[in-house]
Amino acid sequence: MEGVFPEVVFTLFGLPVRDTVISTWIMMAIVTAAAIIIGRRQLTALEMLVDFLNDLISGVMGAPAAAFLPLLGTLAIFIAAANVIGVIPFLSSPTRDINTPLALALVVFFSVHYFGMREKGVWGYLKDMASPIFILPLELVGQLSRTLSLTLRLFGNIISAELIIAVMFVLAPLFVPLPLVGFSIFTGLLQAYIFTVLAAVYISAGLAANEPLRKPKGAPAG
Amino acid sequence: MWEMEPGVMITAVTIIVSGAAIVLGTMGPVIMEGLAVSKALEGMARQPEATRDLRTTLLISMALLESTAIYVLLVVLILIFANPLLDRFF
Repeated sequence: MEGVFPEVVFTLFGLPVRDTVISTWIMMAIVTAAAIIIGRRQLTALEMLVDFLNDLISGVMGAPAAAFLPLLGTLAIFIAAANVIGVIPFLSSPTRDINTPLALALVVFFSVHYFGMREKGVWGYLKDMASPIFILPLELVGQLSRTLSLTLRLFGNIISAELIIAVMFVLAPLFVPLPLVGFSIFTGLLQAYIFTVLAAVYISAGLAANEPLRKPKGAPAG
Repeated sequence: MWEMEPGVMITAVTIIVSGAAIVLGTMGPVIMEGLAVSKALEGMARQPEATRDLRTTLLISMALLESTAIYVLLVVLILIFANPLLDRFF
């Protein structure tokens, strides 16, 4: 069981601090330092990254999405860095602890409601959620299950890649697992992309009015 | 054979069930992902200018399909590494 689940390194004010938390701190330091250094030397590279994220999010949401770029871009960069940092020896990916994907999915869950309520008003958003009243239970189950599936997809992909590498490393050390390490980097970046795109899809679904399903006023019956 | 200790029995059943669950549980998602990829490739070959939209939609739907296989993997991981039944005997 050792090595599969994150281990408690020390306790801080009664809270257990696991090794994934420590690698999150290291990852934050690396990302911040990289942003500062690249921003001083090669600002164009950062602009390319922001441009790529802006194009991606606008393409998915079908509208200019500058308002959602800070949230979704941060999610993308955080998850990509968190998935890739597990490649460094003695560091474990923060996303292999199920608490990290759950926290990110909860951020998406609450931001869907926040942006929806800001767009349509609190009462309008709630009314749209239950526009025929029998939709309401389905909507609630859908909200909860999409949060659960966001969590489990990220967690399961990362932990399965790491477990496969660990098993291959025990069986045939040093050179055989190398292609799998490359594949785990690819999986990690793809999962960051998918998480971001799904968050954008959920947010734009929360923004969209429920109108097209209803009949327009004055339309002929039938 | 049936006079095994309960812990040994649960371990043996867990191992067999884990293998069967991985095999049976990944079969459906894999077949469906293959169908999705082949249809998307047909669409891309027919209309190369729609490749970008098709790729995004394909990745999203593949992720949604993949999550069922991931659920199977998580159940198997729980069975192997954190079996709740086994804690009663050891």
